[in-house]
Amino acid sequence: MRHLIFLLVLFMSAPATAQAIGKKPVIFPALSTASATLDIHAATDLPAMEPLLRDFQQAAPDITINYFEYVTNDLYKAADEACRAGHPIGDILLSSSVDQLMKLANDGCAGAHRSPETKRTARWANWRDEVFGFTYEPSIFVYDSRMVPPEDVPRSHADLAELLRRRIDFYRGRIGTYDIRLSGIGYLLAYSDARQTTTVYGRLLESMSRADVVTRCCNSEILELITGGQLYIGYNILGSYAYAAMLKNPHLRIVVPQDYTLVLRRGALISKDAPNLAAAKRFLDYLLSERGQRVSREKAFFFAEDGTLPKGVDGPETLKESGVARPIRIGPSLLAAQDQAQRLRFIADWADVLFGSARRPDDPPK
Amino acid sequence: MRILLVEDTLDVGEAIARRFKAIGHSVDWETSGAAAADILDSTGYDLIILDVMLPELDGFEILRRLRRAKSPAPVLVLTARSEIEDRVEALDLGADDYLVKPFDFRELEARARVLMRRHAGEPTNIIQCGDIILDRASRSARVGRREIQLKRREISLLEILASRPGRVFSKDELLQSLFGFDEDVSPNAVELYIGRLRKKLDCAKARIVTLRGVGYQLVPDDTE
Amino acid sequence: MTRNDSSLFTRLAVLVSLVLCVGATALAIAAWYYARAAADDAYDRVLKGAALQMADSLTVDGGEMIVDLPASAFELLGLAERDRLFYRIVDPEGKTLTGYADLANGSDLSAVRSEPIVQNGSYSGDPVRIVVVARAFSDPALSGWAHVIVAQTTEARRALAAELTTRAVLLVLIMSVMALAGTALAIRYALRPVWRLGAALNSRDSQDLKPIEVDMPREMRPFVGSINHFMGRLERRVSQLERFIADAAHQIRTPLTALTAQVDLLGQDKLGAGARQHLERVQQRAEELARLTNQLLSHAMVIHRADAVRLAPVNLVDIARRAFRAAVPITLSPDIIVSFEADESDPKVLGDAVSLREAIVNVIDNALRHGTLSRLEVKVSSEAGNAVIEVEDDGPGIPREAWESVTQRFATPKQNGGTAGLGFSIAAEVASAHGGTLGFRERNERGFVVVLKLPLLTGEGD
Repeated sequence: MRHLIFLLVLFMSAPATAQAIGKKPVIFPALSTASATLDIHAATDLPAMEPLLRDFQQAAPDITINYFEYVTNDLYKAADEACRAGHPIGDILLSSSVDQLMKLANDGCAGAHRSPETKRTARWANWRDEVFGFTYEPSIFVYDSRMVPPEDVPRSHADLAELLRRRIDFYRGRIGTYDIRLSGIGYLLAYSDARQTTTVYGRLLESMSRADVVTRCCNSEILELITGGQLYIGYNILGSYAYAAMLKNPHLRIVVPQDYTLVLRRGALISKDAPNLAAAKRFLDYLLSERGQRVSREKAFFFAEDGTLPKGVDGPETLKESGVARPIRIGPSLLAAQDQAQRLRFIADWADVLFGSARRPDDPPK
Repeated sequence: MRILLVEDTLDVGEAIARRFKAIGHSVDWETSGAAAADILDSTGYDLIILDVMLPELDGFEILRRLRRAKSPAPVLVLTARSEIEDRVEALDLGADDYLVKPFDFRELEARARVLMRRHAGEPTNIIQCGDIILDRASRSARVGRREIQLKRREISLLEILASRPGRVFSKDELLQSLFGFDEDVSPNAVELYIGRLRKKLDCAKARIVTLRGVGYQLVPDDTE
Repeated sequence: MTRNDSSLFTRLAVLVSLVLCVGATALAIAAWYYARAAADDAYDRVLKGAALQMADSLTVDGGEMIVDLPASAFELLGLAERDRLFYRIVDPEGKTLTGYADLANGSDLSAVRSEPIVQNGSYSGDPVRIVVVARAFSDPALSGWAHVIVAQTTEARRALAAELTTRAVLLVLIMSVMALAGTALAIRYALRPVWRLGAALNSRDSQDLKPIEVDMPREMRPFVGSINHFMGRLERRVSQLERFIADAAHQIRTPLTALTAQVDLLGQDKLGAGARQHLERVQQRAEELARLTNQLLSHAMVIHRADAVRLAPVNLVDIARRAFRAAVPITLSPDIIVSFEADESDPKVLGDAVSLREAIVNVIDNALRHGTLSRLEVKVSSEAGNAVIEVEDDGPGIPREAWESVTQRFATPKQNGGTAGLGFSIAAEVASAHGGTLGFRERNERGFVVVLKLPLLTGEGD
């Protein structure tokens, strides 16, 4: 009972939005006598992860979890430095920006893990038994149904570009998306968009620029702005976060674009020489297990590779069968996205188009 | 009786010829097969004593010709060859008996006598009394499955008794039948033969019954 | 036929297996070597292709070298799914533009010009395959050779090499097994004439000395030829022996017969009592000599026939009856009861009629001379798979301790009765040649019995 109150207090005091929290973890004490600790360093919103963490502790009551939350770029930077220094941060890293995890693994910062659960994982969601994708999250559009009339609802990327061009006055300053200078996942999605269709991407970027797009570090902030009525449309929002927000705010609506839908696998990686290797492996196995996947689908990330879209989502019945899904494959090609020169130039181009002048990515508009 | 002896060994031939002449037979003695064949073409004999190893024409060939000519004369083959097939062959070709050299001259004489008597045309039928079977052709006797070796006079005696079972033959009658009138034999001889025969027919299902002062009869067991 | 190591089949099979094993091993090693080379070659092409693509993407803009790495190059490298990859792009001035700055740091890039260079190395603790390609720029602002270095760990190529090797080894194994099986069949086929010859030799009768007529391959013909030659010689020897026995019989018997004839003649003349006594002795000795001669010849013949005569089904009752008639002289004392009895079993045996007859004659003759006082019985019957011929007499019999010795040559069962000669020896010889036995039964109140047992013929015909 005391545990519960303590946890509750902890939660209440935790900031609702994810910022780089630095070295202050959220602690989930072991349900029984603690025999192991597990340090999770994650670029994933805690509310999304919490059901999974708690369910994991039901299965492994002896493990105390320290949950460190980051934004993707910070996590990468911290992990990369730690890896070079030779003493890893944490035991397991979770990030929606799988390209960064790929880079870490390619640089030899990951430990391999093989188990019946890892064997169940799809080929395109497992690299070298080091980087595992454990979610299935489409990148979608979110809009405020109070502000966006049904005829305006964009069903494709081209629609969106066209809508912004057509009703530029109405939507000026009302559309938000990732600031890819701050967000690794934002960069990965934008990079993947550009690779999907160069022309539509260019047009969309141009339209957004003209509509004075609002960029933020994180999905949660965009969603907050839409919920608060400041923004009408969110672009490249992860379906999982959007759906969680929609459950709280019924006027939010989700559209799965029907020309193509990028699908992200949130990545997990066990640090090389993780101090609590056994606990990390147990957690990873849990994430990939049937039970973990079920909890993920029902309570944490809502979407799953197999099965229908969650209720209330505007889109095809099943993503996989509709053929619009474009999963971002966890593999060496993601390393191209992680090339420093490439990245710098891509972000510079992006900023140039959106804001007219190339601002340094480490100099965000804040 | 007339005997043809075909034997090329002089010492042997002489001895055989003299022995048979001594007991009253007439013996023609040939030393070559060809001569023997010639003489057989023209003359009939009561017995032929034939050596198989002969110059010019061997004994087998002579035998073969003889049988081809349907001569009924009994043949007694003499052989010095060890392969018994020779003997068997001789029997198959129609030899009636054989002796392997060297032989006992009394045995030769005895066998010759048997052959000549058989040739003399005695009855060839079979007489049976109880389980005693007497084959007059082969002059052999059986009691049940048991073949009994009987002497000439024993056979004759049995023949007389068995020809009419139950009939009583007087001692004189038997004496006459067995030895004829010429021989001077004591009537005790009959008793001797009866005794021997009785012993040899020991287990038979017929018995020789002595009727004291009257004579003897052969009685099958099942009639009593 | 593979019972022992000295079988032809085993020798050939072992030798061929050995050769196959060595061959298979050599092939497996070669397969491994070529698989490695092939895997290296295949992945080197990929590596070079990716590096060339990267080099191709370099552009110069305003005196600065622009790197726009094509994702397709990484996708190409991603064909090696599990391999980590590293790259470095160096501008003509030797400055690292992007990638892993410490990759192939020490190598002399200036050596690489138009031809890509591929080599083995190691990076971050893992063995890697490194390719360096160069691209010439002749922009007024920036001219010289830019280099692209791409390195990839070797897991995929090792895996491919292993897979290729495994498959090749599997094929080699299958081929080896097939070759072995084929060889076994071939050897079997090639050796079949040998077995056929063996079978032909085995199945022929011991007395069959005719030449072997089996279809033989050329290599086997000298072998068959010498067998036939040998058999020819053997046949000549056998017939020589046969003729010798026959001749000896005739040559000895004829004068012997003449001798007894002359003695017989002598006996018909009138002689003094002393002379008559001498004559009787001569007669006795002549008779003994005749009998011994007969037995010697008979013994020789029986032994000869045991090896040389084909056994045939014969009716033992017929043989025994003929033997009985031949062995019992007509001149036998009339006081002796002699009988012959055969039961209804009518036994048949596989045998040589002549030898069997000789055996029975000798047993009966022996009984008449040394046993019988007043009774001799010959019985033929069968019991428990054997045909039994019993010769019983009412004489004193032979004591048990002498049973074994009387079947040997010239054993003397009686101290004063002269020699028993070869009678039992002949009978025992014949019995054993027919798989039977010659035995005795202890004297009881009825008499002493000599028992000749022969295995009954099983099955009809043949």
